[in-house]
This record gives sequence, structure tokens and C-alpha cells, in this order.
Amino acid sequence: MSVVVAGVDLGSTTAKCVVLGEDSQILGKSLSVVGVDIVKDAERALEAALVDAHIPRSDVAFITGTGYGRYKVYFGQLVVTEISCHARGANFLYPGTRLVVDIGGQDTKAIRINEKGEVVDFAMNDKCAAGTGRFLEVCANALGYDVGEIGPLSLQARRAVKVTSTCTVFAESEVTSYLSRGKDPKDILAGLHASIANRTLSLMQRVGVEPEITFTGGVSQNQGMVSALQRRLGAPINVNSLSQYLGALGAALHGRERITGGAE
Amino acid sequence: MITGGLDLGAGAIKGVLLEDGRRILATASVPSRGIPIQAARQVLDELGETANIAPGDIDYLCTTGFGRYTIPERNLQVSDFTSSARGAIFLFPGTRLVVDIGTQASRTMSVSETGRVLKFKMNEKCAAGAGRFVERCSKYLQVPLEEMGPKALASGHPKLISSVCAVLAETEIINNVSEGVPLPDILMGVFLSLSQRAYSLMRYVGIQPEITLVGGLVRNVGMVKAIHDTVGMDVNVAPDAYYAAALGSAFLGHSRLLKLGQAAQGTRG
Repeated sequence: MSVVVAGVDLGSTTAKCVVLGEDSQILGKSLSVVGVDIVKDAERALEAALVDAHIPRSDVAFITGTGYGRYKVYFGQLVVTEISCHARGANFLYPGTRLVVDIGGQDTKAIRINEKGEVVDFAMNDKCAAGTGRFLEVCANALGYDVGEIGPLSLQARRAVKVTSTCTVFAESEVTSYLSRGKDPKDILAGLHASIANRTLSLMQRVGVEPEITFTGGVSQNQGMVSALQRRLGAPINVNSLSQYLGALGAALHGRERITGGAE
Repeated sequence: MITGGLDLGAGAIKGVLLEDGRRILATASVPSRGIPIQAARQVLDELGETANIAPGDIDYLCTTGFGRYTIPERNLQVSDFTSSARGAIFLFPGTRLVVDIGTQASRTMSVSETGRVLKFKMNEKCAAGAGRFVERCSKYLQVPLEEMGPKALASGHPKLISSVCAVLAETEIINNVSEGVPLPDILMGVFLSLSQRAYSLMRYVGIQPEITLVGGLVRNVGMVKAIHDTVGMDVNVAPDAYYAAALGSAFLGHSRLLKLGQAAQGTRG
């Protein structure tokens, strides 16, 4: 019997899928923007990852869904919360992880985990867009940039401005008023990143800041955010190009444990 | 004796001219657009034109609102709470609870018979409870701001919004549109989400009649209906309630001027 497993992380903004082979090596992965029909988005995410892995769907023994839309991953056999999945995925990639920081499109989480990748404690903001990827996106658009451009630009700042608004809507107005006062967009961007880093740190402090810290979620791919967080923490954080897939990877690993009965 | 009241708000600058603390001579309003002092000058010009008086004929100028310290020719400045409570009482003397929903903040005040603010609560940290949320909805639903209220009145089954955040609500509303929820139901849902937020502020200071609605959103019939339905009580509404804070500060300017006059007489005597 094949032991290929897949994890689908159906987030608020993007869908991620990871296909894992027998030795838990990543065979294929996919990332796509979600629309209104998230049931279809989940299917597309899986298909794209299977194409990437060059294997037929029939080879996949078990599929686990996670993320904001996890109950819409109808073709899966298991549903696990994204908190457990990010914990598991971070532990797999960086076994020394004790604190996971997940900044996604619509929420932010700080998850403290043990050496087995199990959740010890967590804190999250899912009520409000402040400090999430959405915040960055709205502010990037207000400055006329694409959200993908702003991290590197923020690193070129000379003197970061101070962003005082917590609310995304008010921050957008604040950004516009800084622009009209002739501030350099790079300085404004640095201010925005610093403000999110502050907010994230207070979330992390609620569960306890303990190394190693691993950064996951879509915003982990923003170099400006990585740098702002490291500066605020005064310590390095684990992050790489796979960080965005750690929810999906964790889901796949949970699925594998389920079929092997935890004996691995 | 003519006193002027200027309310420098986040959305608009409002102005009122008051004669002898009793009669409204003129009202005017101009969008703030980032340069409040310029808009304020325009409001003063319009007021003078309507009342047919020269700027020098204003005996005393009292400012209020976010930008109250930006006008150098002011004689006095008062807080938004004090001015809008006073304006509400001027319009409806029986007022005990004032609800002021503005562009960037919403606030409630309980007031005594003499117009003193007893207790107040404010939300200025988050756009969800303020007019900015309605403005954003107007933009992405492509319904002009002034048509939102009248259109909402046609709602049979308002579509309530579960998100607390104005930005996250946007996604929810767009999903509702694509699922075919009728526009009036969506619009009424927007107003109800605001009125429910206002209601929790109102409960904090204590709900008692008469309730007077003032501020930027008072001209919106959808908002008025939502507040009325949420509170389950009659709510005082008047066209001039839009100018309540400016009116209140003109009134307070008049009171101050009277006091100054008495004091001067006192020293002379």
C-alpha cells in the first residue's frame, strides 16, 4: 500500500497543498489565491500539487484538511485545526521550535509547542484585520504598491515614521496623510512593518517568548516583516521559502500519524 | 450678540451662527479633505453670507471636534462630548442620552437636566462603529452615500454581518453580494451592525428617554431606523442634529460671553 499523504490548508486568502512521500519528503506542493467558491479552490489546490508531484490522485492514501475553510475540504478524511498543523509543520522543519508565529491573510497566532510538536498554549487575533496580511495589503494599495513589493522596500527606509492607528481603516488614512505631507513611502512602509511587529510581539508575550521561534504563514515571505520581527525580538527567527506551506505540511503529517497509528 | 460654533470633525467641518444663544441664524458644512483650516474658513464665509454679516460681527467663536485647536481666531474650545451634548439639549430639552455617530468615532453621553455630561463612552480605535465603515461600503457596493439610507428602508430581511472588523466585514459583504442577497438587506445589515455597536456604548452609560441622535450619520434614514429598531424606543431626530456639536459650542460660547460680561460689570461695580 502506498503511503503518500496530502495536506490541504484552505486559508482566508490562499489555499496551500503539500503532498508527502513515504519518507516524508515533499513530492509536490501548490499555492493559489482563493475566491468565492472555496470548495472548488480546495480541489484545485490538491490537483495542482499532484501535477507538481507527477503522481495520480489514486496514489494518495490519505488527505487532511486544515485552515479557515477546513470543513470545506470535502474530499479529505480528516480535519485538524490550523493551530495543531502549524505546530506540527514547524516542528518537522525546525525540531528546536518552541514558539510558532503564524501571520496569515486574516489572522495572527502565537503558538507555544513542546519538543514533540504538540500545542502547549496559544493566543490569536482573528476578530480584526489589524496586524494581519490584510492590513499590509490595504496599506500597500493605499501607497500604490502590490503587497509583494513592500517588504524589500521597507528595508530601504532611512527613518521609519510612527504609525499610531491600530485599526486597518484608520491606518490607511494615516498612510495617506503621511504621503500628502511628503513622507517617503519607504519610511511609511518601515513604520507599518514596525507597528505589526509590535502587535505581534504582544501576542507572543501572552504565551511566552522562548527560542527557537519559527515564523509561518503567508506574511513570513515578507522580508521586511522578518527583519522587523527580528529587530523587535533582538533574536533570530527560523524562516524559509517553505514557511508558508507549514500548515499544509503539518496537516499531511497529522494524516500520516493517523494511518500509521502514530508508530513512525 | 452673535456667537459662532465650529465643529472640526474628521469627515466635515460644521458651523453654526447663534443669536443671543437662542436663534439659529445660519448653518454650513464643508468636507474636511485633509486641510481643516481651509475648510473652516470656507464654513465661516458661508455662514456670514447666509446670515448676511461680516466676519468681524461674530462676537465670540467657540470650536470643538478633532481639529478644535487648529483655528487661531477662536476664543474658546470645548470637548466633543460637552458640545454635542449641549447641542442635543438645545434641540430637545428633554434629552437624557445623546448618541453621536461621526465619521471616525462614535460616542454616547448621559446628561443631567442642566445639560451636564454625567457619563460617557467612546469608540475611536476601530472603524467598525463609525461612519467610515458606511463610506467604505458605499464605495465597494457602488451605492452613493446619500442613497444608502433610502435604499436600506426597502429591506425585508436584513442580512446581519458577523465580522466585528470593518475590513473583514468587507469580504463578508462581497460574499453576500455574490450569493445574491438583495441590496436593501445588505445595506440594512450595515446600519444594524453600526447600531448594535452604538447600543453597547449606550448600555454602558445607561439607556433612558429621551434619546437624541446627533452627528454625521443623523441625516441617514437607514441609520436612524436601525438605531430605532435596535433600541426599541423612540429616538429624537432633527435636521439640525447634524450640526449639534457646532450648535452646542456656539451656545457655550454665548454662555461664556454672558459670564465674562457679568464679571466685567462686577469689577466695575
